[in-house]
Parts: sequence; structure tokens; C-alpha cells
Amino acid sequence: MEVALYSLPFLLKGAVVTLWVSAIVASCSLLLGVLLGTLACYAPAPIRWAITLYCDTVRGIPVPVLILTVYYAVPLLLGFPINNYADAILALTVFTTAQVTEIARGAIQSIHFGQIEAGKAIGLGFWPRVLYVVFPQAIRRFLPPWVNNLTDVVKGSALISLVGIVELMLQIKQVAGRIYVPMPVYIAGTIIYFLINYSLSSASRKLEGRFAHIRE
Amino acid sequence: MMAATDNSAAIVRIRGLGKAFGSNRVLNGVDLDVARGEVVTIIGPSGSGKTTLLRCVNALEIYDEGSITLDGVEVGYLEAAGRRRRRKERELSAIRAETGMVFQMFFLFPHLTAAENVMLGLRKVRGKDKASARAIAERWLTRVGLADKFDSYPAQLSGGQQQRVGIARAVAMEPKVLLLDEITSALDPELVGEVLGVVRQLADDGMTMIVVTHEMAFAREVSDLVVFMDGGRIIVEGRPDEVLEKPSHERLKTFLSRLDSNRKRAS
Repeated sequence: MEVALYSLPFLLKGAVVTLWVSAIVASCSLLLGVLLGTLACYAPAPIRWAITLYCDTVRGIPVPVLILTVYYAVPLLLGFPINNYADAILALTVFTTAQVTEIARGAIQSIHFGQIEAGKAIGLGFWPRVLYVVFPQAIRRFLPPWVNNLTDVVKGSALISLVGIVELMLQIKQVAGRIYVPMPVYIAGTIIYFLINYSLSSASRKLEGRFAHIRE
Repeated sequence: MMAATDNSAAIVRIRGLGKAFGSNRVLNGVDLDVARGEVVTIIGPSGSGKTTLLRCVNALEIYDEGSITLDGVEVGYLEAAGRRRRRKERELSAIRAETGMVFQMFFLFPHLTAAENVMLGLRKVRGKDKASARAIAERWLTRVGLADKFDSYPAQLSGGQQQRVGIARAVAMEPKVLLLDEITSALDPELVGEVLGVVRQLADDGMTMIVVTHEMAFAREVSDLVVFMDGGRIIVEGRPDEVLEKPSHERLKTFLSRLDSNRKRAS
């Protein structure tokens, strides 16, 4: 107990880093993923192929490899190193965007073609059909896998300790190493991770309830 | 409310219509005129091209050959300086706004209430403000007998009610022609009557309609003209009593007797 109380300030400091890195990655990948997912459905073929290639490539690379590749490649490409937080956020965003793209693409494509025809039949143009017919229905299918993905982002952010960022995971390791009593520290850390992700999934359940009237 | 009947002018004029999906020719030179206020029923076996013909009229399919004009405007193509090019998406939307379509599977927007389903086109295509779109939606929903369902979602409605919302959604746009694609085929038998009742009322009010149906009794009752299609062609065309009661053409006879025996077997 004493150990847990001692470690708590350090762990919370780490949790704050985990949270804001996750928040930035989640927001950027949401914007980019929805954009790419939409393009993957409606853009001309070469753009669609490029997006598929990007998603398949990125998903085939382990996240630690991706993080270290970005960390070493950026200085080579730019001629100077950037902040290691930027490297980590960039790598995680590249990875997560690929996943969000696939989720968005799947959600959009799962909307029945009859919905699009019904939109056409009343004279709606392409963008009104997408905005008022397809997207509102796709949101409901997008949400559950996306929140699932958010919890993956939070957990995946543990890997940025690879480039020396002291987030929750690295704080746990450091504190445990300092006081030689690892178990209570790891348990406390686990509880923090659990609390973050549990609040995400219960928020998602509430949100899904708001879309429950959309049944086919 | 509805256009005054002026039977002299064809509102839909179809000439030499041809359409193929790959190597499968589904329409083989169809000619048909639909006058203002007229109800034309298309019957025929499945695969005869009747649904494709209907879908060409509102440009959900673009024909390869021939011509369809809606109130004098070529539907699928733009002709300028002797050249013919496929219409662009924006032009097609404008043409589709002048036609109404009701689908076999309803295709109501499940995320919108009955009133919102009707309002969407009024708001986003006709540019009406929310209050007047709502007023029009309520008026049409009341006319199809759903005055107590304005704020119900499609999932809360029966099939017959959903299809009546589908009809309200189409007619609220005041289309020049209403296209009905087997609109009772997905309904339980006891719900067919309420939907056909609405269509009958629209016919009485002078709405121009092209109807694809397997309900022969209904076709006989509401149609001004019945068209029998087979193999992508119009085989027989005439008044309902001529076509349905004293069929002379061999293929039409076979088709009608097969329908008849199916019905007997079902009951």
C-alpha cells in the first residue's frame, strides 16, 4: 500500500503523457482515417489503389518497428532530428490512420445500395447523398470498432517508451526498478490503464444507445 | 394540386430504347408514350426488362440506344451540336428530382422519422425551409393515412406503413411521373390493400404513373394502358380489358395462365 502511494504521483504523471499522446493520435487518425475511408469508397481507382496499398503495408508492419523506423528515418529525410514526441505521434498516427481508414471504409460500404438509389430517386446529388443518407447510417457501424481501436491506441502508446518518452509504461518500469518491489507498482499501473479504457468503452456504449433507433 | 389532365401531350416519350448489361441485352427497342395523367402498367415475366425500363425513365440506369424524353427533356444524354454525351451527375440529379420512384423494398432512410424521410428531398433538393417542408410532409403523410406516425422511425412501422411513407416521400416532390416498381411484392398479403388504396387515390387525382406489378386485378382496375413485355420488347399493348381479359397473343396467354395457376396453388 505504501509502495503504491509512493509510486502514484509518478504513475499519474506517466498517465497524463499517455493520455495526451493518445488524444492527439486519436484525433489526427480520426480525421485522416475518415477522409481516406471516404476516398477509398468514392475516389477514382488510382487513389483507391494507393489507399489500399498504404493500409495493407502499414498493417503488415509491427508498431515498434514503425516507431523506430520513423525515429531514425526522419533525421535522414529532413537532415535534422525532430522532437521524439513528434516522431512517436507521427508513427502511431500513420499506424492508427490505416486502421481507422479500414473501419470507415467498411462502415460506408455496408450501407445498402438501395439507400443510395432512394437518395438518387428524390434528386439528391452526390454530396447530399453522402452527407444526409450514407454518413448518418454509417456512424452507427463505425462507432463500436472505432472505440475498440481507441483502446488499442491507449495500449499501443506504451510502445513509445522505445524512443525514450516517459509515459505510463516507462514510469511503471522506472519506479519498480527504483524500489525493487515491482508487483504493487505494476498492479497500480494496470488499474490506471484499465480505468482509462473502461471509461472509453462505457462512454461508447452510451453513445451507441443514441443511435439505437437506426435499425434496418 | 396535381397537374390538370391534358391528354394530348405525352409527358414520357420512349423511342427505340436499347440497354445491355454486358452481353445480356435487356431492352431491345422499346417504344412507349405516357400521356399526362395516364396510368400505364407494365407486366411480364421476370427478366423481361420491365424494371430496367422503369429505372431508365429516372436515370437510375442509363440506356445505350434510343431516347427517353421527360416533358421534352432527354433523360440520359445531352444533345448539343449534333453530339450526344451522357449526362453528368448534377444534370441527372435535376432530372431525377422531376420523377418519383417507389421501390419494392421501400428503402426508407432508417435514421430519419417518417416526416423527415419526406422532408429530406423538399429541404435539400427543393430548398424549402424546415417549417414549410414539415407542413408538406404532414399533409402527404395524412393523405396516405399516417397522420399518427409523423415521428415514428421506419423500424417502428409495418411494411404497409413503410411503403406508404415511401409513396409520400416520392409524391411530395410533385414529380411529373411516378414510377412504382413492384411496390406490393415484399408485403404480407393483408397489407397489400392499404398500399394499393393509396395508389388508386393518386390515380384518381390525375397523377401520371408507370407501374410494374404482378397484381393483375389492380392493373385491370387502375390502368389506362397495359403493356406486356417479354425478352426486352413490348409484345402487346392496349386497354386493360383487351390485354388482360381477352389476350390474343400466345406468350401473353401463357404468362397470364401461369400467374393464375400460381395464385390458385397459393390459396
